[in-house]
Amino acid sequence: MVETGNISIFLALIISIYVLVASIYGVRTRKWDFVRSAENGAIAVCFLLIIATIALVHSLINLDFSLKYVALNTSTDLATIYRFTSLWAGQAGSLLLWCLVLSVYTAIVVLQSRNKDRQLMPYVLATLTTVSIFFIFVITFIESPFEKLSFIPKEGRGLNPILQNAYMAIHPLTLYVGYVGVTVPFAFGMGALLSGKLGDEWIRYSRKWALIAWTFLGIGLLLGARWAYLELGWGGYWAWDPVENAAFMPWLAATAFIHSVMIQEKKGMLKKWNMSLIIITFFLAIFGTFITRSGIISSVHSFAQSDIGPLFLGFIAFILLFSFGMFLYRMNDLETENSFDSILSRESAFIFNNLLFLGAAFAVFLGTIFPILSEAVTGSKILVGSPYFNRVNVPIALVLIFLMGVGPLISWRKASFKNLVKNFLYPILLGILTVIVLLAFGMKDVKALIAFALCAFVTGTVFTEFFRGTRVRMKRGENFLMAFMRLVSRNKRRYGGYIVHIGVVLIVIGVTASSVFVTEKQVTLNKGESMELRGYSLRFDGLEQYTTDAKNATVANLTLFEDGREIDTIKPEKNIYKYEGNREINQETEVALRSTFKDDLYIILSSFNPDGSATIRAMINPMVNWIWAGGLVLLLGAIITVWPSGRKSRQEAFVRYTVSEEDTTVKAS
Amino acid sequence: MLKGKLKFVIAIAVIALTVSYLVYGGVKDTMVYYLTVEELMAQVPTVYDTKVRVSGTVVPGTIIKDTDGALEFKITDGVQTVDVAYEGIVPDIFADDVEAVVEGVYAKNDVFEADTLLAKCPTKYESTDSLYDEKESSY
Repeated sequence: MVETGNISIFLALIISIYVLVASIYGVRTRKWDFVRSAENGAIAVCFLLIIATIALVHSLINLDFSLKYVALNTSTDLATIYRFTSLWAGQAGSLLLWCLVLSVYTAIVVLQSRNKDRQLMPYVLATLTTVSIFFIFVITFIESPFEKLSFIPKEGRGLNPILQNAYMAIHPLTLYVGYVGVTVPFAFGMGALLSGKLGDEWIRYSRKWALIAWTFLGIGLLLGARWAYLELGWGGYWAWDPVENAAFMPWLAATAFIHSVMIQEKKGMLKKWNMSLIIITFFLAIFGTFITRSGIISSVHSFAQSDIGPLFLGFIAFILLFSFGMFLYRMNDLETENSFDSILSRESAFIFNNLLFLGAAFAVFLGTIFPILSEAVTGSKILVGSPYFNRVNVPIALVLIFLMGVGPLISWRKASFKNLVKNFLYPILLGILTVIVLLAFGMKDVKALIAFALCAFVTGTVFTEFFRGTRVRMKRGENFLMAFMRLVSRNKRRYGGYIVHIGVVLIVIGVTASSVFVTEKQVTLNKGESMELRGYSLRFDGLEQYTTDAKNATVANLTLFEDGREIDTIKPEKNIYKYEGNREINQETEVALRSTFKDDLYIILSSFNPDGSATIRAMINPMVNWIWAGGLVLLLGAIITVWPSGRKSRQEAFVRYTVSEEDTTVKAS
Repeated sequence: MLKGKLKFVIAIAVIALTVSYLVYGGVKDTMVYYLTVEELMAQVPTVYDTKVRVSGTVVPGTIIKDTDGALEFKITDGVQTVDVAYEGIVPDIFADDVEAVVEGVYAKNDVFEADTLLAKCPTKYESTDSLYDEKESSY
């Protein structure tokens, strides 16, 4: 299988180079046979990489320790599912996965549009293939997953136990599909620049692909947060670690992009901006891969360190210079078709949305590279931690939530006072009402009050939209349910987007509640003693020990009372792993979590003593579940938005609101 | 018409200024010097009572755990050592010989009072050394 893998990736590299040459040559000389053969080549590359991946998976599952990658990432005691997921546990394997995912995207792009846009597509393919070539080159010559050891060890190093978790198994994969997915809209942007076809085609394709990548990035981030929450045992889900920021930055830029493309579609504006934005998004995605893979910024995660850093840096420099070079070259062809009329308009809401998203991305970028920057400038390493990121991003986020409410309802071009009252009176009242109710309940935190009020405001605007749309249809004689379903299915982009916004609102509510209102307590208890925690009481019923093949576990048995009633038993664990190969972490704290939509009870067995007493750290994290629920709503909305429409005629009807003659004369005077 | 455009310029400038101010204030108030043990000791009189982050290897056998969860240990750069006192969540991988990162204040009694403790896996991640151990023990 090893030879199969080696040969496959080598052939994939050769064919990729051919694809690049043939697609450019074919389109330049209008020899479409060459383009056609390049497209077939791209599909062949996809098959070859599938074969290579199967070869590696086969070796991983059968524990072929003669391979360095297998020996480093698996062991005989590892369950089959985690042998499989070891595919992305190490450097070489995850780079192979990068290549595979990109080749699958490339094949889909080729199959979907091989007979459309013949001027544009060969350049798109060429761009995708250039990125492929870089990554396939890395796995062929520098970080090969098929590297052999000079001997066959009897046992492998094993997979870190904290990575043996269902969320950890799918979170990196989801994130990868997102990271790599950003390449596709970028390739369409580059294709447009290279071919000079700077019309609507590239923006239409890019928008859809950017949405897909954005969704995977977002869900990947949430899965990672959930993993950290369940597994790392410090009670939080987000720490502004460089590895987290690495995925958050392209997500922020992609969010800006998927909003501003709408302005280009509807009004033919912001063309240069969109092009720059997709280049920046791709840069941030590659930069993210670079910081997680090169170890240049010290992170607690520091999964893999290696010497591919300089190569990556060179690649990033090439990407940036080439794309912005092409951008400058085509600058004059990216002229806007309209101009901004009023600051109170949907266009300007989008502009501010974009500025803020980019501002947030910039702030996160600066904070992430600050140690390197400060060392280069002042000679000493200076860090900025969570307080920095929170201080900068919380105000930006609050304004963004406000705009999320304003954007969908405010008129295009120029909002009149009447329009503003009609659309925003009730949502604003809802926001004010929320503040009054929360104040009555004794909530004093200003930031939380603002956040909840804004969430109510956004929810109000979204429901107004759904309500109005449904009512119009009901007047035509449809019953409520049918009217509602048709409303959504006939305007998937619009109403899918609103559902995504509701998901974001739920996430914001969860994040606000769980970061502002945490209750935390650490107590050492003897058997029979209890600890009190905001309405809850935990009785310690003693320690218990058990042994499995993999670990020795110590369990603290706790009984939970709420207002004097017994409601649950809680068993936090401390595990000592037997297997020596996992010795980097031989001790693992297993959090006991009791999760409801009201709050999470997060219990950790900090330590236990020979006299049978135990130190328990207990936290109440309110409304964390809202975050995960919000993630599901967001996913649902995103799926609705990108769902292919059966009704071709209605799909993607570009309505341009061009400025009429009359308006122009008024403006001129 | 100029008035309309001017409004945009002002709004954009306000956003840019606000974000810049947030970045500036955030960096100024939260920045922390990241020092090695050697650098910390070199700055000893001036470093007292300023918040810093220090990394070093945990000296084997120096970890003392109180029953109430408080922790004392020493970190070293191979030459000098620093006493650290910490109370809070201890990472699972924290043990003898791991690289510990502590953030806090170096107090006048020459004890580093940490409020954050992070531990990094030994950097042998992608090394094959331990595989050779396996090989030797199997013969």
